[in-house]
Amino acid sequence: MSIEIRAISKRFGSFVALHDVTLDIPSGELVALLGPSGCGKTTLLRIIAGMESPDSGHILFAGEEATHVHARERKVGFVFQHYALFRHMSVFENVAFGLRVKPRKLRPAEAEIRRRVSELLKLVQLDWLAERYPSQLSGGQRQRIALARALAVEPRVLLLDEPFGALDTRVRKELRRWLRRLHDEMHISSVFVTHDQEEALEVADRVVVMNQGRVEQIGSPDDVYSHPASPFVYQFLGNVNVFHSRVHGAWADIGREQAQDLPADEATAFVRPHDIEIEHRPAPGGLAATVQQVHTVGPLVRVELAYASELIEVELTRERARSLALREGQQVWFRPRELRVFAVPQSGLEEGGSGI
Amino acid sequence: MPVPHYRQQLLPGFRLALGCALVYLSLIVVLPLTGLAIKASQLSLAEFWQTASGERALASYRVTFGASLLAATINCFFGLIVAWILVRYSFPGKRLIDALVDLPFALPTAVAGITLATLYAENGWIGRYLEPLGLKVAFTPLGIVVALTFVSLPFVVRTLQPVLEDIEPEVEEAAASLGASRFQTFVRVLLPTILPALLTGFTLALSRSVGEYGSVIFIAGNMPLISEITPLLIISKLEQYDVVGATALATVMLAISFVLLLAVNALQWWTAHRDGRDGAGTGQP
Amino acid sequence: MIGGPPPRRANAEPRWLRHLLIGTGLGFLALFLAIPLIAVFSEALAAGWGRYLEALVDPDAQSAIRLTLIIAISVLPMNILFGIAAAWAIARFDFPGKNLLVTLIDLPFAVSPVVVGLVFLLIFGAQGIFGPWLAANDIKVVFALPGMIIVTMFITAPFVARELIPLMQAQGREEEEAALSLGASGWQMFRRVTLPNIRWGLLYGVILANARAMGEFGAVSVVSGHIRGQTNTLPLHVEILYNEYNAIGAFASASVLALLAVVTLIAKTAVEWRIRRETRVLSESPAQERPVASASRDMGASAGSLRSNPSGEWP
Repeated sequence: MSIEIRAISKRFGSFVALHDVTLDIPSGELVALLGPSGCGKTTLLRIIAGMESPDSGHILFAGEEATHVHARERKVGFVFQHYALFRHMSVFENVAFGLRVKPRKLRPAEAEIRRRVSELLKLVQLDWLAERYPSQLSGGQRQRIALARALAVEPRVLLLDEPFGALDTRVRKELRRWLRRLHDEMHISSVFVTHDQEEALEVADRVVVMNQGRVEQIGSPDDVYSHPASPFVYQFLGNVNVFHSRVHGAWADIGREQAQDLPADEATAFVRPHDIEIEHRPAPGGLAATVQQVHTVGPLVRVELAYASELIEVELTRERARSLALREGQQVWFRPRELRVFAVPQSGLEEGGSGI
Repeated sequence: MPVPHYRQQLLPGFRLALGCALVYLSLIVVLPLTGLAIKASQLSLAEFWQTASGERALASYRVTFGASLLAATINCFFGLIVAWILVRYSFPGKRLIDALVDLPFALPTAVAGITLATLYAENGWIGRYLEPLGLKVAFTPLGIVVALTFVSLPFVVRTLQPVLEDIEPEVEEAAASLGASRFQTFVRVLLPTILPALLTGFTLALSRSVGEYGSVIFIAGNMPLISEITPLLIISKLEQYDVVGATALATVMLAISFVLLLAVNALQWWTAHRDGRDGAGTGQP
Repeated sequence: MIGGPPPRRANAEPRWLRHLLIGTGLGFLALFLAIPLIAVFSEALAAGWGRYLEALVDPDAQSAIRLTLIIAISVLPMNILFGIAAAWAIARFDFPGKNLLVTLIDLPFAVSPVVVGLVFLLIFGAQGIFGPWLAANDIKVVFALPGMIIVTMFITAPFVARELIPLMQAQGREEEEAALSLGASGWQMFRRVTLPNIRWGLLYGVILANARAMGEFGAVSVVSGHIRGQTNTLPLHVEILYNEYNAIGAFASASVLALLAVVTLIAKTAVEWRIRRETRVLSESPAQERPVASASRDMGASAGSLRSNPSGEWP
């Protein structure tokens, strides 16, 4: 089922949680709401679920007005960040809850409930835990039970709030892949909230990058990473070197075509560390710098170059680093393969050199 | 992710629950107390003053507060020791003793009163050993202190226990590693940490003692000007059909209750505020 | 070091001080708690079981016991309803004046029982605010059962709410939100999620409220009128017998109340233990994480790894 979000705004006191957010979630897609803490992503998810009501704007489910439909009637499966499993019920009863509270006329027979629950427990690969209590489960198991519980009522939409946030790295990676596979099998429209860019890029069909209550960019994972629409997205997704035109005149020269329409002192170039080429000889458009440090980090080699008063971060493949044979203190020339120039007011960026 | 406070609209029953709570509280607690205030306001100032500052009344305040302060102080000292040994040391029967600390909450005050009076009487289990020392407890102001110490005993222990449990051993180890002696660690590190809880416990104990009636009247002897507590004076005014006098004294008592309640709230706010600020310092990135 | 048990703490007190502190603390508790508790029963049985039982089957004692039970049974349901309602409003919602409400709930703890009794005397008594009206309609509140029930309601008002508010705040509202999003109605949510989650805290509050309701002396004394066989509760009965120098009778009745206190302490400790276990299970980090694949591939191995979990004392 598709979800349309139309000009939603929400404040909490003087804090603007969402400002005029418009978003389409096509049927069957797995969408990530990505952004830093306090950007409004969880509030948006709760509004979609009907746990919060917007100050203005509309929500449409499959084209139908749903803004004021109670959470109970939305047929939304919600997986809470801390799972919110019913602590006094067994795993089985947790999953069966949604079926047991249906009005008598719609409630499946006991045998049918048992069948459905054990089917779901098999789906999340935890049927052997049916009689356990939530406190006896690991974090990853709780997460999957919370998912099974949400799926039991056959929701039209699945909403997950920081689904992997409380898990350790290894379990998180497993669960991520597993959620992706599950989604591919069930094809239920799903939205999940995360502050982890890697998670969003790896799992989602589409990524919605949010910041300070606004949508910064919507696109495929490749889109948002390779073609960020704003400085924020550039800095939030991966490492980036930031060059301000006034400080780094030469860089603005390189990006001149892009910077033409921008005020001269606001043009700022963004370059990913792996989009920088290092050479031993001067090349057209290349700038001279000194090698400061060379670190091998897993499959990559990270080079810090000193250029004027700034540090520039470059990432090379091991092969490339080997063929360059960089030494600390050596003079080299570097040039960007790919960069974007945005107009950023002087006060907008605090760091001048290599960004986060 | 820390989210700014939600104004919750999803959960049902707010109006019903708040309505029930307010109606109950208003009918049972607030309106009756307001009734007392109204009655008191109908007294002329002279009438009020005459009773509230009469010789017998002043003596009763002295006895009530003197004994209550003494009992609360005794409980601060021994309560700290009891809380300390219950949290820090292990010894046989600890859980039983821990449970026993709440006895004054569970034992009706009248029972405590007659029992203490019997124990501390001249021929009682304890009184007979104090008698040769020239120490009379039952039917003297000292007896009031004993009764009040009993009824307010759990307050200091129970407010201190969780605070002592929360102190991380690292803090003391750090103090020791910086060269502090055990005594210095206690005075400079532990005592400041538990001070708000100790004061809260003291105030709670005081608040309970000041209003106490049942356990005191049996052991106090109830001699006007010497061992008569204010609640008893209220009762005796009532028995003489002196409603005006009783109302005046009750108003004074009620005002004191409010002050002590506010003091407890302020102390708890102080504790929470202090801890909150410490917590925020480490919690925020 | 080798051979002797290692010290529990690097900076523990010296042995003599530890013993001194334990000795002082236990001595204090023995003097003020243990000896009085033993004395109640010992005094009650001073003249043997025969006299003891005789004192208890006395019609006045019987009627006092009955009245005490009636008051407790009338007060507790109101108290439970109020406690749950107040805790639901305070722990689940934000509203202006919330702190004031919390303070008001505490108020009955601070007011002297004698003042409480007097307050209701001033309202419902012969010269009270509603006195003439009540007299005209021949309704007896003061010096009768209704007055005793009302003052007990005042005295016990905070107990259940005080237990539930922090408990519900600690539990958070997510489980209830989950229940609603799964289609539960408000009542279903309350009955199936809220109530089971707070049941131990509720029981705890009820135990304390019950002990106070049955044992209240000062406030009930003011409004009771002390009519033997009619408006005497057990604590008032104790007072009357004691003042008549009937020590055996007084302590026999007192021993019933002391027994109630002991049962209260046992029940309270059991419930406390239960609550602590539940909150500990919740707060401790989840069991050993295991990747999804291995969990489904090999049940036996997974069960093994659960058993080897150090925090493995589950119900």
